[in-house]
Amino acid sequence: MSKKSLFISAVIVAAALAPFGFEPKGHSIRVLSTALLFAAAAQSWNIVGGLANQISLGHAAFFGIGAYTSTLLYLKLGITPWAGMLAGAFLAVIAAIILCIPTMKLKGHYFALATLAFAEVLRVVANSWETVTGGSVGLSLPYVNPSFIDFQFASTYWYYWIILVTLCVISFVFHYISVSSLGYKLRAIRENEDAAEVSGVNSFAVKMIAATTSAAFMAACGTIFAQFNYFFDPESVFNLPGISIRVAMIAIIGGIGTVAGPILGAIFLIPLEEYATAAFSSVAGLAQLVFGCILILAVLIQPRGFMAFCSRKKKKPQNSDVGAEVGQ
Amino acid sequence: MLGMYAVWFTWSIFEIDPILGSPLAFIIIFFVGYVIQKFFIHHIMKAPAAAQIFLTVGLMVVLENMALMVFGSDFRSVAVTYQTESIHLGEIFISKSYLYAFLAALVITGLLWTLLATSWIGRAIRAVAQDAMMAELVGVNATTTYNIAFGLGVGLTAFGGAVILPYISVSPTIGSHFSVLMFTVVVLGGLGSVAGALAGGIVVGVIQSLSSLVFPIHLQNLILFIIFIAVLVVRPNGLLKEG
Amino acid sequence: MASYGVRQLLACFFGIFVFLGNAPAFAAEEIAIGVLQPLSGPNAKFGVSSLRGSEMVVEAVNAAGGIKSLGGAKVKIISVDVPTPNTAAAATQRLVSKNKVSGIVGVFVSSTTLAVSEVTERVGVPIVTFAFADQITERGYKYSFQVTPKGTIFGNAQLEYALDIAKQYGESVKKIAILYEDTAYGTSQAKGIRVAAGKNNLEIVVDEAYPLGITDAAPLVNKLRASGAEIVFPVSYLNDSLLIIRTMRQQGLTIPAIGGAAGYIIPDFKKGLGELADGTLSVASAAADQIPEIALEYKKKYGSFMTHEAISHAVATDALIKAVEKAASSDPAKVRDALAGLETCEGFARGIPGGCVKFDANGYNSVTFPLMVQWQGDEPVSVYPKSVAKAKAIWRTQK
Repeated sequence: MSKKSLFISAVIVAAALAPFGFEPKGHSIRVLSTALLFAAAAQSWNIVGGLANQISLGHAAFFGIGAYTSTLLYLKLGITPWAGMLAGAFLAVIAAIILCIPTMKLKGHYFALATLAFAEVLRVVANSWETVTGGSVGLSLPYVNPSFIDFQFASTYWYYWIILVTLCVISFVFHYISVSSLGYKLRAIRENEDAAEVSGVNSFAVKMIAATTSAAFMAACGTIFAQFNYFFDPESVFNLPGISIRVAMIAIIGGIGTVAGPILGAIFLIPLEEYATAAFSSVAGLAQLVFGCILILAVLIQPRGFMAFCSRKKKKPQNSDVGAEVGQ
Repeated sequence: MLGMYAVWFTWSIFEIDPILGSPLAFIIIFFVGYVIQKFFIHHIMKAPAAAQIFLTVGLMVVLENMALMVFGSDFRSVAVTYQTESIHLGEIFISKSYLYAFLAALVITGLLWTLLATSWIGRAIRAVAQDAMMAELVGVNATTTYNIAFGLGVGLTAFGGAVILPYISVSPTIGSHFSVLMFTVVVLGGLGSVAGALAGGIVVGVIQSLSSLVFPIHLQNLILFIIFIAVLVVRPNGLLKEG
Repeated sequence: MASYGVRQLLACFFGIFVFLGNAPAFAAEEIAIGVLQPLSGPNAKFGVSSLRGSEMVVEAVNAAGGIKSLGGAKVKIISVDVPTPNTAAAATQRLVSKNKVSGIVGVFVSSTTLAVSEVTERVGVPIVTFAFADQITERGYKYSFQVTPKGTIFGNAQLEYALDIAKQYGESVKKIAILYEDTAYGTSQAKGIRVAAGKNNLEIVVDEAYPLGITDAAPLVNKLRASGAEIVFPVSYLNDSLLIIRTMRQQGLTIPAIGGAAGYIIPDFKKGLGELADGTLSVASAAADQIPEIALEYKKKYGSFMTHEAISHAVATDALIKAVEKAASSDPAKVRDALAGLETCEGFARGIPGGCVKFDANGYNSVTFPLMVQWQGDEPVSVYPKSVAKAKAIWRTQK
């Protein structure tokens, strides 16, 4: 155990010191920050998608709620985005409850599509409710003197560190859930919901805790995204391929249901995408084509994600239950 | 998207009407689908469902961008005489291009149903869907059946793309406009049900049109998705399928 | 177990380190200009022709001996595909820190432009754009420049010009209809039409937004037909514009449609509609017949007429290069100051009405104004206002 915690601390320290290798306003640090932000979002998704195996394709809903809540509170009432982040998380929890009560019992594709529809509903609302959300034109964060209270910094280092802390917190919570009794209950429900109910698991309460935790963290990621990008519109935060599918994909490519999976997935995918765009910009579509091919290869080579490589290597007979594997 | 390109080319090169060209689109894309299933999806049939979803997402990205590189970003549309004509029934206008597309869809649905219900391959597909191992035991080649089923699926989608070409122009990203709607239709009707897909399609169309009478048109998808979620709550397996 | 990936994670981190650190930097003898356009995704068509406009300018400048004040330095375009606003920030950052661009041209899409301009303002690099959104030059930003009219002015012109043309033919108009897609572009232009309608005491009988990617225009046209509108102002990209015009035709609706640029004035509109396109009026920021020689060269090279987004982005690129020349420096801050004081009325700038680029304190090119074009034959022709008209406007040619 101590060896493992040593590793973890080493990674965190290395990650925290990483920015000093880059220009403070540079491109590399921005890409790395974006990768970690998406790692954090994918980790939030992982709480529902990985532990409970409910494949949500609507996590953009919570992401957008976070972005809109904090930004609107800041623009209209001058409330600091830090408080806005909490408010966004709170609203996302409410939204998750509203979504979950009716859809909790849905299985597989039906659940995925219901969540997708939910995110679409919010996108249309954000697009149409012009007086409040600014409509399709989107929201810009005013250019102010950088300060902590305004959540704006001149150097990308600060964003990076904030994102890193967020990622660590979400990963820690994910790990805590997965080894706690809650994690066992979630896995029991995943394997066989009826059997779990019979043996005394309140599946409704358990799923609800997972869903609301996931939603709250996703909203926090949305707030950070808004602050980090300075501009967003309904199309960018409630986006199906850009957010919902992407976070699920990152978690799946990395290794669904594992702590390191989303982090590996994001660190692989986001810079890859960015690098492909930079390297193949001469022919329109080539970058995306290459990216798509690599994606296909990744899925074909290891459909259970990168983490499956290590779990196979170190497979012990009885521990398959503790995280790495996800059954159908 | 590919189906639309296929008929666009048959239209522009051979001057074949898209509706008549649509079976051709079906045949070409059927083989494309067959090959994709054989060489890609087949390898991860036993992997989690999520991996399959993301494999197809990757394929879509690749195909879209291949189309962009090969065909360019132009919007291509066909010019046929009936696309500006309509049938007047008193106060009601029925657009001919929509009517033809609808009739073509009805015919193909009928054919599909007949195929699945009566032919040997139809029974094999249903058997494999229920229990691949049992089907293998009674002599069905599950792999080939999956290939054919996937080919049928994408071929039919291409057919659908072909028959709407008279009123929708094609560009590399056109498919994404329809994929969410397509899922909605199928899930609303009930996965795996031919009649369900037809019913789902009609219900979605009616909801969209009726909601535009009462609500602003830009809210039509809002209404649709709210009703969609509500239907799933009441009937978790779709309209026409027993839970 | 949950943390087995730690070692891989570590390895990955250092891998990224190495690869990001080694990304190539460009040589400094050339002046780099960033061009951001959607080259893939749904707006690719417009992005591609916009990029062509920029390329033409750069070729012309380099052929004429490069930037003279910098010893004949050649100009080089670094083009990046930005299909969505989410990709804009990283792309901009890369242009600035890796490619050391002196300025940025783009983006066709308003929302992406807004996203880019938030970054350029913070890193101090000028962006010259053709995008319509009013906010671009209304935030008090120092590094954003808009060479062509903003959305509300566009919408206003779309209505005012149409009324003037109608008046020439002795038609009086009382009821109008607005159909627009619910994007940043559609909503801001519709706002302009609405305000102008109020000024002219017109009754707006239909005012409908619809979602992008609509597959059936019948509900819209039904409302239109029932309303008794005398002119319709559709603001949309291509697919919707074809649908609307065809559906109107199906229902025998013959009122004039005055398009809102974008989908109404690209070659594909004519290809899709054939003769039906003839007589369709549309507002535009520029027209090929204002600069016939350049437009001819463009047509020879790319096979289709020079669209207004190609011309407008050519004007933007031209202004940026002239500013570099004037500043005699590739330093973005100096180029920005040169842009602010720039006045150019020759070459590409003649493609836009007003024929000049001269930015006001907000970075808005206040000299220019929109024009009205009409499909007459295979190309849209400038018909209004008189100062730029090349042919007479024809009212109601749709039968």
